[in-house]
Amino acid sequence: MIEIINVSKWFGELKVLDNVKETINKGQVVVICGPSGSGKSTLLKSLNGLEPFQEGDIRVDGISLNDPKTNFIKLRQKMGMVFQRFELYPHMKVIENITIAPTKVLNQSKSQAGKKAMELLERVGIPEQADKYPGNLSGGQQQRVAIARALAMEPDIMLFDEPTSALDPEMIKEVLDVMVDLAQSGMTMAVVTHEMGFAKEVADEIIFMDEGRIIERGTDKSFFENPESERLKEFLRKILI
Amino acid sequence: MLNYDFKWSILWTDPYGGWILEGVATTIKLGVLCCIFSMLLGIVIGTLRITQFKPLRIFAEAYTEFFRDIPLLVQLFFWYFAVPSLLPENMRTWVYQEIPDFEFWIVVVGLSLYSSSRVAEQIRAGINSISPDQFNAALSTGFSHYQAYRYIIIPLAIRLVIPPLTTEILTIFKNTALAMTVGVLETTFMSQQVEAYTFHGLEATTAACLIYMIITLIVVGAMGRIEKRLAVPGLIIRKGANS
Repeated sequence: MIEIINVSKWFGELKVLDNVKETINKGQVVVICGPSGSGKSTLLKSLNGLEPFQEGDIRVDGISLNDPKTNFIKLRQKMGMVFQRFELYPHMKVIENITIAPTKVLNQSKSQAGKKAMELLERVGIPEQADKYPGNLSGGQQQRVAIARALAMEPDIMLFDEPTSALDPEMIKEVLDVMVDLAQSGMTMAVVTHEMGFAKEVADEIIFMDEGRIIERGTDKSFFENPESERLKEFLRKILI
Repeated sequence: MLNYDFKWSILWTDPYGGWILEGVATTIKLGVLCCIFSMLLGIVIGTLRITQFKPLRIFAEAYTEFFRDIPLLVQLFFWYFAVPSLLPENMRTWVYQEIPDFEFWIVVVGLSLYSSSRVAEQIRAGINSISPDQFNAALSTGFSHYQAYRYIIIPLAIRLVIPPLTTEILTIFKNTALAMTVGVLETTFMSQQVEAYTFHGLEATTAACLIYMIITLIVVGAMGRIEKRLAVPGLIIRKGANS
């Protein structure tokens, strides 16, 4: 479903992605972890064309991101994205946050999109917040709205960029529960996170990145129990306490 | 010591009162038109200044600097005196004599262009204060760049810059006074004319001061209401907006 083929990217002199290779199959959940500055968010954003890269190629359902004919607008409709700082539209009500893309991009009617939005809010557990503004919601609630907003476009793939890093500890679980539910429903997911509990529960593959390279990859067992590289051992020691 | 003969009644004596009222009407018409045009132009230019398409960005930058860096008075003279002189003789005469309210529309053009460059900078500042991931979030839901700006970034940026935009609108109303230099019969012109006819300059100028004061206070009040209505709930704590 997503093929990352020898992708490299530079910010000026700095090489932020170094020959990254990876395949994400349909229905797979891939967790990407690593220290800050390791390139994991950049990699995630390059998957839907938000970050250009200089070398290699990424193919989503066979469509090359390097192909000048590729329609990124169409491509992104099939790839939902959730951001670290939620990035809800603060001047719109929760329900409008969810319905605006389906109405403006897919030309759905207001009532059709509204009905779907309420279903999604039920799914993420906060239908009663529909008429509030994002600023009046807790972080956990905002992030769940952000997930609902992404799902409203009925994507085939969901990308998560540190979805719980900006949350208070007691709100992390409510967001992770939604994500676990999503993973179990068969959604293809790429998740940048340090939530190792989540990784253990649903990840089909875990990737460890450092300095723009994939250092190690594995299923949860091999990854946590027999890390090979020193760098990963050290990282796990730090985050698993 | 004070031997000035106050005669406030000239302000409501025919024809002087009528002149001043006509002047006020022109000032308001001029101000409102210039506000509308400079806001629309300013939003477009301000957005172009941060677009990824370089030629448009360079155009917007040149536009901003050109209209922002030259004194408004010089710009008005340029549009009113210099530009028509590039036209052939008979067309020039036609322009000055046959276009109704030529000087009025010249000021609308000149003041709108000048003010739009300043509005553009406010809008640009507003857009720059929005996190890049907000734009990414909009794109990630399948919006085109145009839609992301149209529905998300610009509405948000305008809300963020309403306080400085209020100041800008006040400036536009005050700058309409320069229209008298090209012969627009607005408030300042009329108050000067009343002085010329009656030698009661103090009364006439005081009236002009009060008129500008009233107009700007109305603008401040209206903008305060708009600011409150558009306030982004829970995100921006607004202090100092009149409640």
